[in-house]
This record gives sequence, C-alpha cells and structure tokens, in this order.
Amino acid sequence: MNIQNKLLPNKKSRWRTVAVFFIAVITGLGMFMTKEAELVSYMSDDPLACVNCHVMTPVYNSWMHSSHREWASCNDCHVPHNNIFNMYYFKAKDGLFHASVFTARAEPEVMFMRKESQEVVQNNCIRCHIQQVTQVKYDGYIKDHAKNRTERQCWSCHQEVPHGTVHGISTIKNNIAPLPTDTEEAVIPNWLEKEMKTK
Amino acid sequence: MKNKVLFIVTAVVVFLLGLLASSIVNRKNEAKYKYVPQVEIGENEPRNAEWGKNYPAEYQSFLQTADTSFATYQGGSAMRDMLDEDTNLVVLWAGYGFSKDYSQGRGHMNAITDITNTLRTGGPKGEGDGPMPATCWTCKSPDVPRLMNEKGIAEFYSGKWADKGEEIVNPIGCADCHDSKTMKLAISRPALVEAFDAMGKDINQATHQEMRSLVCAQCHVEYYFDKKLPGKEGVPYLKFPWKNGMSVEAMEEYYDAIEFSDWTHKLSRAPMLKAQHPGYETYLTGVHADRGVSCADCHMPYKSEGGQKFTDHHIQSPLNNVSNACQVCHREDADKLKMNVYDRQRKTAENRLKLEGFLVKAHVEAKKAWDLGATEEQMKDILMDIRHAQWRWDYAAASHGASFHSPVETARVIGSGFTIIQDGRVKLARLLANLGYNQPVDMPDISTKEKAQEYIGLDMEALRKEKAEFKKNLVPKWLEAAKERESKYGIKDVSLNN
Repeated sequence: MNIQNKLLPNKKSRWRTVAVFFIAVITGLGMFMTKEAELVSYMSDDPLACVNCHVMTPVYNSWMHSSHREWASCNDCHVPHNNIFNMYYFKAKDGLFHASVFTARAEPEVMFMRKESQEVVQNNCIRCHIQQVTQVKYDGYIKDHAKNRTERQCWSCHQEVPHGTVHGISTIKNNIAPLPTDTEEAVIPNWLEKEMKTK
Repeated sequence: MKNKVLFIVTAVVVFLLGLLASSIVNRKNEAKYKYVPQVEIGENEPRNAEWGKNYPAEYQSFLQTADTSFATYQGGSAMRDMLDEDTNLVVLWAGYGFSKDYSQGRGHMNAITDITNTLRTGGPKGEGDGPMPATCWTCKSPDVPRLMNEKGIAEFYSGKWADKGEEIVNPIGCADCHDSKTMKLAISRPALVEAFDAMGKDINQATHQEMRSLVCAQCHVEYYFDKKLPGKEGVPYLKFPWKNGMSVEAMEEYYDAIEFSDWTHKLSRAPMLKAQHPGYETYLTGVHADRGVSCADCHMPYKSEGGQKFTDHHIQSPLNNVSNACQVCHREDADKLKMNVYDRQRKTAENRLKLEGFLVKAHVEAKKAWDLGATEEQMKDILMDIRHAQWRWDYAAASHGASFHSPVETARVIGSGFTIIQDGRVKLARLLANLGYNQPVDMPDISTKEKAQEYIGLDMEALRKEKAEFKKNLVPKWLEAAKERESKYGIKDVSLNN
C-alpha cells in the first residue's frame, strides 16, 4: 500500500485515473512484447528457442546436421550445469546481453564466444567427454598429451565440432530454419487436403 | 508539478517501449525476408528451373543427380541391367513386366527418361493404349501434384499411362518435397497421407526431422494398386499396405486378407506379390533410424561451397560422399567405412541368391506338376508357399539399401523365406511322386538373359520394336505438346520497385 501511495497520485486527484491508465498501458505493452518475443520459450531447453532470433540460424542449422544433434542441445554446451541457480543466472545474463546487442543491431558477422562463455563450453566438453580427456594411457604415447589437455581448449583442435567449417551469419543464404512460431503449420498442403476430401 | 513530471516520464517510457516492440516485430520479420527472390514460385510449379532461379545452389546440386558415373557393389547412379547380372530374376517374374526389362535406377533427374525407355511401359500408339495404367506416373514428376490438383486424385489414377504422357515431363524435383511459399518440407502425394490415416496416425504431427525421411517415403515404399476401392471400382488407386504394420509379415497378412495379387506366375500359376521398394519400411528397422538419423542426413548431407552452407540436393549414394555423409558421426577411414557397407551387402547377397535359386526350382517344379495333371486343390498350399517365400525374398531384394540400412532384419526376412520354400518344395516333391514322377525335375538353361527370356516365352524382338516406334512417333509429340502448354505458364518476376 505504501509504495502504491507513493507512486500513485492522491486518490481524489484527477491524475489518479490517468496514472492508472498509463500503468495499464505499460503492463499491456509489456505483455505484448512477452508474447511477440516468445519470452516463455527461453525458459525451455528446446534449441528452437534459440532460432527465435534469426542470427542464430546458421549455428542452429550446422548443429542440426552434426552428430551432437542426437545428444546435446544448445543449453547442454552453452550454459553451465554445475548448479541450477548458476544455470539460470548465466542463461539470463547471456540472453540479455544477446538481446541488447541484437536490438542495437550490433551483431558481428562472425561471432566468437566471450571469455566466460568459453569457460562454460570447455567445462561442458569435459562434463560429457571426461573419459576421453582423462585417459592417462595416452600420456604414454601421445606427446604433450597432459599439457595439451589441461592447458588448451578442446576446439583449438576440434574446430569443426559441431558448427562446421564455415562460420558467420551470412553463411546461410536462404536462412530457412524450422521456426518455432510455425509449428502449427500443416505438412499437407491445402490443395491436397481439399482433393482428398472430395474424392 | 509532481504529476506533470510523472505524466511526461510515463509517456516517454511508453514511447520507448513502443519502439522496442516495433523493433522486435521488425527483426522477427527479417527472418522471413532475408533473401530476395528472383521470381514468384506458384503453387505446384512443376518446372524445376523456375525454383532454381531463387535457389541456385540447391538447384545446381540437384542437377547433378543426372550423373551416372558412380557405381558401387550393388547400387550407385550408373545404369545396370539387373536381368543380365542375375538371370534368375527373369524366371521369378515370368508373366510380369519386370521380366521384360529391369535396370538399376538412376538419379532423380533421369526419372522421366527412364520410365519412357523401359520396356515395361511398352510401346503405346496413343491414348488408351499400352500395358501400364496412369498410376505409374505418380512418383515420377512434380507435374503429378499439379495434375492431381487440376483433375482430382482418382481422375489422375484413371486411364492408361500413355494418356498423361504429354502432361508429365519434368523429372522428380522441387515441388515433390517443398512448399512453394515457405520452402518447408511438405507432402505432395496422397498415398502416404492415406496410409498414415489407415494406421491411425496423423502425419501433420511429424517433426521436421521425421519429415526429412517422410518426403522420401512418399515413393520409396511398398505399394499396390487397389482396383476395388468403393465408388472408384476399376481405378488403379495407389495404396500402401501399412494398415497392420510395415513388417514383412504384417504386409503379407494384409495382402492375403484382401486376396490381392500383382500377377499370376506364368510357370507355377501362383498368385504372386511383387514387393516394390520397401526402402523406408526397412530403414525404420535399422540402427540408423533407431538413433534418429533421417534419409536426408546421409543422402543429402550439409555442404559448403563458396562460404555458404546448404543441403546438398545431389541425392545419391552416401558412398560417393563419405566425408560429409558418414564421417560427421563415424571417425573411421573412408575406405574402412565403405568396406563395412560392402561386407553387410555381400553377406546378405550370398543368402539372397541361394533363396533365389530355390524359388526358381519351385516355379519350374510346380510347372512340372501342372504338366503332369495336378489339380487346383493339390496345388493350392504349394502355390501359397511360393507366393509367401518369393514375397519375402523380394521384400529383402527390392528394398535395395536394406542390406545395409538393416542387415539383421533383412537376414531374418531371407531366413523366413528359406523355411517357407523348403516346406513348399517338400510338398511339391511328394505331389510329384504321387503323380508318378519320383526324380529331380530338369532345370532349364537360364545362363543368359536371352535364354531365360526365351524360356518364359517372351518375344523380345517385338517388344524392342514397339518401344522404338513409340519413341520415334509418340514421344516427340508429347514433348512438343508439353512445351506448348508450359510456354503459357509465364514467369512471375519479383520487382523490387513496386
């Protein structure tokens, strides 16, 4: 009540109605944007949420054609999995950064991971591939194995995993991804549906 | 004063929020208008080249399906005369079109040429003539959905193959799998939708990844022509026998229940089933399907060219593109991977050929029994055994890729064929003995394709002659009429100045 009284004009003032009206406008606009920006989808683990924003289409499509598709979603690699709070904190932080850059039209042609993100991805590589990276027998016959596996990042060698050889937002000309917004679209075209009914 | 400030601040906030909202809407729409189309592609546009104007990279790679230079152990894109390589086939299909001519299929770009050239479609002299129904066009061209839309589905299936010759000229291409507006994968053939309905499934629920196999399953499946459809009697209506399931037993049960047969065997008089190409059904039983790999993942892998990534539309044997097709998942040498494929295929072929030999013997022995005066009653069970055994052999053989896609299931199917045919031949031996013939039946000399075709009574000379005449007289007329028709379609250029 206190906050309400501080924020809103006096109950008897004619400004009270106007203010309530504008607060409703802001709330409504907020709800509109929530819907339009598919905000709820970002709470999910579905990779389709990432292609809400079309600059992600090249990386989505290359992941979709890679062997990681069957095992790891975007979140499996790109957000931390040490605890659930950190996971959502990092996801929110990264997501808001992405959204700001995208809104400001400041996205670079080729995107690189920031330092925090590199750390997250490296840890996630290890999370699944722990047996490969801790295989001590390799130390015996692969030169500098211990050094390489502790001091370097996985993708300094495995450059193509999983997003392929060519990077950049214009590497997909026709930019067609299965957008989450058109999942309701039928795979049977209208003409065929009609013909099948009239048979 | 305080209220005025509040009013101004709120108005500014709402204004900025409005800007943000408009930015969100705009940037979302960018995804839809990211590329500038050269032409507007109409619904069911059959001309692949028109689509190619908007999607040159995909189109150029699609054109490569015309290539016929790559042969593998049992497939590839080269044309191979299968009857010449394996003369048993001639006897197995006696009385059916495939005994006249059967070649290993080539790439999609050759679809129209190949169906025109094969002796199976005969030498029609004009409308209403020839051995095959119009239904045979169904999988050959993007002109098919166009025509189904113009005429109706049952009307499309009605009449002779030759009746629609001038309507169908573009080889399998863009409109067969894509929606012309959104480029999303779409189903253009009713048979697959109807088969899903029959199984109680809704194809609209298919995910994008499933669609990357289902567009292929519109054609690379087992099918038959139902001439008893209520209300459409006499029309060879294309159907998939999936109602009870897709296994060899489920489809056999389906066919037996409706007493369907593709043809009556010329030697044994058995009511035969011809397995078409249950490629999709057998793929589903394999390990790749189990791990979520679609047809397109291997047969149309991702490709980059000139800094651009796109799906390779040169649909072909993955063995011609091991690095993009296999090595995305498998880290072994290309040669090693090829060897793994050939190993599976060779081992399957070994047993398939043995089963073939038994089937040929069964047909010849059954003929002998008829010649010695066997009755329908005495032959009934034997003929059903021949029908079932050959159906199993064909299910394994005609699915081409199955010996790799699903070697265990294929081996099981061939194995079950052996059990049935040995049963049948024991019955045959008893019957022959009862008829007073207690010794091995002489086998014909089918060492060459020519000898085999002569044995089953085919006049190849006449078949070749009528085909040559058809190609000389009728085909040019079809092409001319099609050219005239398509010239009226026009091109809808997209102008940016409007």
